[in-house]
Order: sequence, then C-alpha cells, then structure tokens
Amino acid sequence: MKQYYDFKIEKIKDLSSDEIKLRKKNLDLFYQTGFPNKKDEDWKFSDLNSILIKNFNNITNNDCLPKEKNLKLIEEFEHNFISLYNGRLMSSDFAHEEKNKILIENFNYKKEKNLDKKNSLNFLNHALASGGFFLEISENYELKKPLVIYNNFSNSQKETIVNYKNLIIVNENSKLNLINYIDNSSKENFMANTIENIKMKKNSSLKNVLINNSGCNGYFYKYLKSDLDKNSNLENYLISSGFKFNKIDIEINLNEKHSSSSVFSALNLINNEHQEIKTRINHNATHCRSYQKIKNVLHNESKGVYQGKIFVKNIAQKTDAYQLSRALILDDAAEFDAKPELEIYADDVKCSHGSTSGSIDLDSIHYLKSRGIPEKEAFQMLINGFLGEILEQLSEGKLKNFLIEKLERQINGH
Amino acid sequence: MLNIKNLEATIDNKHILKGLNLDINPGEVHAIMGPNGSGKSTLANVLSGKTGYETKGDIKYNGESLSQFSTEERAQKGIFLAFQYPLEIPGVNTNIFLKTSLNSVRKAKGEKELDTLSFLKLIKEKASELGIDEKFLSRQLNVGFSGGEKKKNEILQMKLLQPKLSILDETDSGLDIDALRIVADGVNSYKNKDNAFLIITHYQRLLDYIKPDFIHVLSNGKIIKTGNADLGVQLEKTGYSNLA
Repeated sequence: MKQYYDFKIEKIKDLSSDEIKLRKKNLDLFYQTGFPNKKDEDWKFSDLNSILIKNFNNITNNDCLPKEKNLKLIEEFEHNFISLYNGRLMSSDFAHEEKNKILIENFNYKKEKNLDKKNSLNFLNHALASGGFFLEISENYELKKPLVIYNNFSNSQKETIVNYKNLIIVNENSKLNLINYIDNSSKENFMANTIENIKMKKNSSLKNVLINNSGCNGYFYKYLKSDLDKNSNLENYLISSGFKFNKIDIEINLNEKHSSSSVFSALNLINNEHQEIKTRINHNATHCRSYQKIKNVLHNESKGVYQGKIFVKNIAQKTDAYQLSRALILDDAAEFDAKPELEIYADDVKCSHGSTSGSIDLDSIHYLKSRGIPEKEAFQMLINGFLGEILEQLSEGKLKNFLIEKLERQINGH
Repeated sequence: MLNIKNLEATIDNKHILKGLNLDINPGEVHAIMGPNGSGKSTLANVLSGKTGYETKGDIKYNGESLSQFSTEERAQKGIFLAFQYPLEIPGVNTNIFLKTSLNSVRKAKGEKELDTLSFLKLIKEKASELGIDEKFLSRQLNVGFSGGEKKKNEILQMKLLQPKLSILDETDSGLDIDALRIVADGVNSYKNKDNAFLIITHYQRLLDYIKPDFIHVLSNGKIIKTGNADLGVQLEKTGYSNLA
C-alpha cells in the first residue's frame, strides 16, 4: 500500500522527555491502523484513508509558522474575537466585555489527562498537537457580544496536517454565543485535526456555530465533546459547506437533569465534497432534552453522511430526544447516507427519529417559474428555503442576518 | 393576442386536448366551462409552459410561437396563470418571493428593479385593495394559508405583475361568497382594453361577478360550443350532458 504520510514528533518544539514518550506511544498507535477506513464501523460511509490516498502524495506535520497575514474581521456585527492561525492562538480581543470575566490562554498540554481514544485520528492528535486555546467564562457572566473564533490556515500549507486541542469552560449561570469561523480559500490540500472539549456548568448556555466564509481544499476532522451539568443548554449550528472533506464527530453528555442540547445543520454540498455529521447524544440523567435536525442538499458527485445515535441510560427517565434528517438529492451521482440509531435502557422516555431523502419538487419549481423567476434562481430559492429553516429559531438580529447571508452565499456560489 | 389552432396535448400516453381552437383579443374576457376531465387544466398548464406534455398544433401569442418560450419567459412576456392549487413553499418568505418575481419580470422588460422600500410600499397598497392582511406577506409562501387566502394571494400576484393575459384556473373553487366577491372585484378593477382574461371554471357563480364576453364549452378535448354570457346561465340549468 502506498505510504502517503510521514509524521515526526521532533518537529514539535519545547517538549519534555515525558511528553515525547507519550506522544511517541500515540504515534505508534496511529501507525498501527493509519487513517480511519471503512472497516471501522464509525467510518463505513466515509473511508478517509482512500479519500486521502487519492488526493495527497505525502502528508507531513509542520510546526513552523509563516508570518500571520492581516486578520480580516467580520464587519457585519460587533464581536469579540480569538484569532487562531494554523491552530495556534495568535491574538484575542474582548473589548466589549469586563476583562476579569474571561480567561483566554494557550492550551496547556502538560495538564492533559484522560486522552480520548475513539479512533486513530485522536491518537494522531495526541501525538502531534500543538497550539489551540483554553477559554473560560466566569460565573454569572453573560457576554455582551458574540465571540468569533477566526480559524485561519496559511495558504502555503501544502500537504500538511495541523493538530490542536481546545478547551472551553462555561461556568455557572454564564452565557456565550460562539462563532467558529473558517476563512480560507486555499487551493492547496491541507488537513486539520481538532479535539475540542466543552464543559457546561449549571444553568450555563452556549450557542456554538460552525461556519465558513469561502470554499477551500481543506480536509477537516473535529471531535467535539461536550459535558453538560444541571439545567445547562448547548445549541450547535453547523453551516460549513465548501470543504473537500469534513467530519464533525459530536459527543454530547447530558450528565445532569434538565440539561438540553441540540444539533442543527444546513449543508449545501457541491462537486465532490464529502461531509459527515456523526453524533452520539448520551442521556445520562433524568429530564434531559436533545434535538437534532440535519439538512443536506447534494449536488454533482457530493456525498453527505449522517450517523446519529441517541443513547438513553437506564436511569434517564423522562428523556425527550428527537432527531430528523432530511436530504435533497439533486444529481444522480450524489449520495446521502443516514444511519439513525436509538439505544434506550429507560422505559419512561419520548424518543423519535426520522429520515427522508428525495429530489426537489418540480411542481414548486414550475410555480416559481410561472411568476417569471428564472429556473436557476427558482432552485436557489427552494434550497434557501429548505436549508434556511435551520436558522429560523435564532433570535432576530445582526448575527442571524449574517448567518443567513453566509448560507445564501454558500448556496448561490461563493 | 392569443391564437390557438388545432392544439393537441398528450401526457403519460393520455390524449387530452384533441384539436382545440381559440382566439383571444385584447380587452376580452373568455370563460371556459366544461365537465371534469374535459381538459380545462391541461389547457392552462400547456399555456404556462409546464413540462411533461407532448403537444401538436400551434399557439401564437402576440404573433410569436409560444412553444419557443420557457415558463419564466412566458411570465415575463405577460402570461399569468392563477393556479387551481397554489403551491405551499416552505422556507420561502412571501414578500421575498413577490419581490423576486416582480423584479424578474421588470428586468426582462428592461425596467428598473424595485428596491425593498419601494417594493414594500407597492405591495402594501395592492394587498390592502384585496383585503389581505400584511402579516400574511411575511409568512412562508402559502404555507398554512386557507384555500381562500391562497386564491387571494394568486390575484395579488396578478395585480402586482400586471400581465397581458391572465388565465384563472378554477380560482373560484374553495372560495366563500365574500372571498369570491373580493377576487372578482380584483379582476374587474384590473380589466382594461389592453389585457385579456381566460377564466376556467366549473360553475356559473364566478361569472355572475365577472361578466365574460365569450363562454366556451370544452368537452373531450375540444371546444364544442361557444356563446355569450347567457350560455353560462343556460348551462347552469341544463348541465353539460345535453350539449354532447
């Protein structure tokens, strides 16, 4: 088999000998299986190994950073920001907030325990990760403005992989709107492999949006793990069309009663883009609520995957869990795979799931055309309507308008 | 304005229109009546350019062969079809739809597109003429609208786009008497010497409000009788079966 990757821990600076030992162990674990392939049940619809083989000659890690270009800030709404460049924390600005309420610093690898072992990409991350951030919001603090995390990747990042970890803690009674914003139009192939942990304390609330500004030749994997305490609420919005490959692996642990979480997604996939959303929602306590609505529009030879699992522990009575996947398939060569799973060990629960895929309604297209609207625009209107529904429940304002406009741009071509 | 000669239409191997002739001039109101399955809606669909029909014969619109134009080009050239069953389109805001529609037509005519403010002013005015509550306009297109609201919305679109030829496909069905009057008033106030109407209906009752110049009876894919407004009244008494 073609060996298309070559990773060296020596490229990472300032490591202690213990760290090097641990990282080497993880790299060995990675090399035992290589990148995930379809033999792994979790990856059966997204054979990353064969995708990478086709598109990369030699993936390497690189800890050297070119100089940061000028950061292009979003102008549409006022916000705080954190700027990451190839995963490295470069700068932050919380001008809208009380300073002592927010802690932002580099991710501390020396403190890291309990490494995730879900798949070989996790091992690779443990072996090679550098950069990333630690963000903590103090108790009883509601951020006045949203926080944008600018995820920039250098355009010269050819055939390299960036690995980093983030940790976000939202303390009791605190509230944050977070926008993970990827702004890269690189035509060079590159990879990003991220592990992000979110800790939601009692009564805290977080809206977590993932959105990108332009299409690029990036291959992304993000393992997003969240732990929710009593009465906390986490809403995820995934509006990230325009990559070569993207898999978001979401694990949400509803650990204490009355916590709730949701995953909303609106993806418009073109050409040979491949995206997978995989969720595992663990209902570990009573009276928790989870909601998932996944919408995909597939053009050309694109592929979309949704693997959604709801797990209800035996003690998790009064669980309310819902998941729905809807896909519009616009070309014969496009593919959508959905695998909904319910695993329920409690008896007093409300769980429902549904999955539909079909083509666009041509009678609706005819109706719009009969009002003088050109065919291409009619399709865009219907797709906008189909995907835009995902953003409807957001409260009105500049942020919502911004997201609607970005989604429309993704649909109408970047 | 519209000259149909020997029109035949087939869909899914069903031969529905079997040689239909019809001439409509500016300023005229024509009604087409006929039993179920006679081909009334097929005629409306074919005129709107709906795909799926195999057609023979000739349709000229202002001297040009209609078959060369797509559905949207027909609309831009002033042909309007008020649907028998207006479609519900989730996620598409009514106002945005109306603005896109109007501006597509204006653009095709070489007119300046309306900005949001001028559009809203215009649509408010048109909506109030038809007694349409403004809040409908910010809802998703036809989603959850009652039958009457959907039909009023069709007439609103007609008045907004100002077509030359308006085809009303069973616009009266599903309307209560008040809504029927509003729809009829909408049509009557728009009627002038330069535009024409083709009203497809089962019943005389709409024609009590919109007085047609001609009534045609369509049966088995052909027009079998043409008369003036009195023909409708007669049909109401005797039914279609006596004509065949």
